Amino acid sequence: MRYLLFIVLLISACAPNAKESEINLDQLSWKDITQKAEGSTVNFMMWQGSPVINDYINNYLIPTVKEKFNIELRITGGQGPEIVQLIMGEKQAAVKSGQVDMVWINGETFFQLRQIDGLWGPFVESLPNAQFVDFNDQFIGIDFQQKVNYMEAPWNVSQFALFYDSARVTTPPTNLEELEDYVKANPETFTISNDFSGMTLLKSFLSELSGSPEGLNGPFDESKYEKLSSELWEYINRNKQYFWKKGTTFPKEHSKMDQMYANGELLLGFGFGEGGIEEKVNQGLFPKSTKGYAWENGTIKNANYLGIAYNSTNKPGAMTVINFLMSPEAQLRKASPDGMDSNTILDPSKLPSEWQAKFEEMPKRKYGPEMADLEDKAIQEPDPKYMIRLFEDFRTQVIEK
Amino acid sequence: MSKLKSIALWAYVVAIMFPFFFLLLLSLSSDWRYPALLPEYFGLKNWVQVVGTESGLAYSFFISLVISLSVAVTATLSGFFISRYVSYHKKKGLLTMLTYFPYILAPVVFGACLSYYFLRIGIFGTTAGVIIAQFIIAFPYALIFFSSFWNEKIKNYENLVSTLGGNRWTTFTKVLLPMAKGLMMVCFFQTFLISWFEYGLTSIIGVGKVQTLTIKVFLFIKEANFYYGAMSCCLLIIPPVVLIYINKRFVFNKLI
Amino acid sequence: MKNRGYIGILFFILIGITPFALSFGYALLYSFGVIGVANSGFTLEFWKAVFESGEFVKSLFYSIAIALVSTVISVSLALWFTLAFEKKLRGRILSFVIYLPLAIPGIVASFFTVQVLSKAGFFSRLFNKIGITSGISDFPDLINDPYAIGITLVFISVVMPFFLLLFLNVYQNERVAELAELSRSLGASERQTIWRVSLPVLIKKTWTLIALYFIFLLGAYEIPLILGEESPQMLSVLIVRELKQFDLSKISEGYVVAVIYTVIVSIATILLFSNRKSQDIHE
Repeated sequence: MRYLLFIVLLISACAPNAKESEINLDQLSWKDITQKAEGSTVNFMMWQGSPVINDYINNYLIPTVKEKFNIELRITGGQGPEIVQLIMGEKQAAVKSGQVDMVWINGETFFQLRQIDGLWGPFVESLPNAQFVDFNDQFIGIDFQQKVNYMEAPWNVSQFALFYDSARVTTPPTNLEELEDYVKANPETFTISNDFSGMTLLKSFLSELSGSPEGLNGPFDESKYEKLSSELWEYINRNKQYFWKKGTTFPKEHSKMDQMYANGELLLGFGFGEGGIEEKVNQGLFPKSTKGYAWENGTIKNANYLGIAYNSTNKPGAMTVINFLMSPEAQLRKASPDGMDSNTILDPSKLPSEWQAKFEEMPKRKYGPEMADLEDKAIQEPDPKYMIRLFEDFRTQVIEK
Repeated sequence: MSKLKSIALWAYVVAIMFPFFFLLLLSLSSDWRYPALLPEYFGLKNWVQVVGTESGLAYSFFISLVISLSVAVTATLSGFFISRYVSYHKKKGLLTMLTYFPYILAPVVFGACLSYYFLRIGIFGTTAGVIIAQFIIAFPYALIFFSSFWNEKIKNYENLVSTLGGNRWTTFTKVLLPMAKGLMMVCFFQTFLISWFEYGLTSIIGVGKVQTLTIKVFLFIKEANFYYGAMSCCLLIIPPVVLIYINKRFVFNKLI
Repeated sequence: MKNRGYIGILFFILIGITPFALSFGYALLYSFGVIGVANSGFTLEFWKAVFESGEFVKSLFYSIAIALVSTVISVSLALWFTLAFEKKLRGRILSFVIYLPLAIPGIVASFFTVQVLSKAGFFSRLFNKIGITSGISDFPDLINDPYAIGITLVFISVVMPFFLLLFLNVYQNERVAELAELSRSLGASERQTIWRVSLPVLIKKTWTLIALYFIFLLGAYEIPLILGEESPQMLSVLIVRELKQFDLSKISEGYVVAVIYTVIVSIATILLFSNRKSQDIHE
């Protein structure tokens, strides 16, 4: 009995290493790749928390890739940390044929996956639609001060922005000084989430304290960080008695802030996607009087990307789907304010004129600002080390004090 | 005193029913902000939006039902029988204590560590893998659950039946099962629900290929839009409610 | 019979114990940096970091306090309901209604609690409407609050209904009503009957499950995640925060916390059981 079980375990222990698909891009033409992809299944791990994104994926992307390339696209739920955990787990267990082929990631996850060599590539320059992308654009070709090096394909680009309820706040704060006045006049209606979004706001604050939008560019600078961050913590601790819950605690997640803004507890909010308010107003979550705006010294602008897992068993399939997602057709569809409402990563000047026209004809947003409106207030994502330190110190210097 | 008592009972009933009504109302609402006591919009908008953009909700419901029923039936039955061996064993104390250990490791950690071995063995991405994973969580629960059932009294009954010439089958069907049916009901529900609401381990072991209903709608509960969150809550809790009703009505009543 | 018992125990060890042992081993190795993709071999650095920060101790006592208070209140309430309404709760409708709370998992209960008890939630609006409060800030802090009121409330609402069902079943199985009748006929007062007969029987039969639910609450994740404060945090929230942190080189600290937690609770369980055993002999 016991021996039997051991044998079963032993056999199954070998199972995940059975098949492996390694392809050499130098020897394959794009036609070969699409041919290999034909009839295959691609597993795509992505965040599924938004109905408009799910609509785009389930009712447009999945049927279209099935029709065009005969690819079965399967969606797996999971965002940043879960993707990292899965790939790290597979790496740990030496799984050669991974469970996911492509992943939707932002700079934070890209940085983590690069650390553990979790991504396969470089593959992006082999995609035909890469010709429409301007990789010299610092917001697309550089991710967290790190060259993307064709390891991940850009999918959306967006700028961080703040928003406020114009029915209840007449002039929203646009710099730290005004914010101080604002929280004193409207106590308990502002806070900072202790997550990626909140840290992104803190990065904008640090940049303002440095005196210039470019203040944090370049590699991590310990002494600069020490100086600026101690000013920042001093500023927050001085004012946190006017924050939500008198600054005794901070919301764990950004979604919680959105909820509190939606039911009227908070009057200021922030987020990527130029604030991400269009969809939420359309859903009846945010009041129609919501308006988005940028910080005077600028807010972070960055892209999010599609990557291929290091142990994907269907790299040609993943490449085919990613290439399609970067096509003018798929990008145009994604840009509609009624739909996914996300900015294209394609450079209009590189597009054929018919597509340029189509992108121009796209209706404008009703509530949120356009990315073009915020363009001169865009700042680069600083070195990831800043984020690591902000996370650590926001906890020890503010939350636990 | 008796007035206080009946107030308490009514308060309990109201407290049980209120969440169901409130969540349903919230899922049908929109534009509902402080200080409004009632929503500005009331209708099917949220349901149409989410159900329309999700594909395969019915299939997810079906697969969830299959998984949860398998886990609940096997865990309850095996827990019942094996807890008998454990309880009558010479080293009963030691064995019972060991049963607790899976829960001493916090569930989140258990999930994270266990997934390594599942990846290693290669049983993931399949319904069977998910059932095994959930069974590993539900089985010790059932064991502990039934451990209080077996005692000297029950043993005496068993001995009595065999003295009177009954075989093991009659012992179980005529004596033990009727005596344990109330507990088995509760255990069945608890293990069914452990499985039905299991998210962490299922999402790791199932890696999106086993899309249980919980996996599909769980996400909305944590996202910004609480109207969708309320809808997801409804989708999650209505099936167990129906099951409880059916069980109370057709299974439990017949047993009595 | 003998042989079957052997298979039963083997199955028990295989399914009940092996996964735990393997997982604990994994966590232990990870905590010393022996495994882990971002780790580079054996080190005590993570253990040192956890002990130096002192966050773990705070979190442990915080968790124990909340779990203990919630368990005691839940068990007391459930006992009271059982003894007070034992007959009524077997009625047609009530016997269905008391099962309903089982259908509400922790995450849904937490979500619901946020919606009704937050400062801009349903009750705050109700109180505002009838003039008890005059705005959002007047409403008391009930969720994400420093006294963990929200967490405790939801813990009770999740656990208490289960105990009620359990006690009702035991009440019937152990014929507590008849025992009580007997005790009264022997001249015991109502008070003595409850404290000396009914309650001891109910608790003696269920203490293993009470202990189990205490452990469940100690390791609960979703409820304190949604309703807790950022500091101190309950243990599972703290552990997951470390496991999922941005800085991959510090993930092991989460496993350190997990290992210490497991060892402490294991020791407590062993003590509890060995105590219990000696008591059983004396009885």
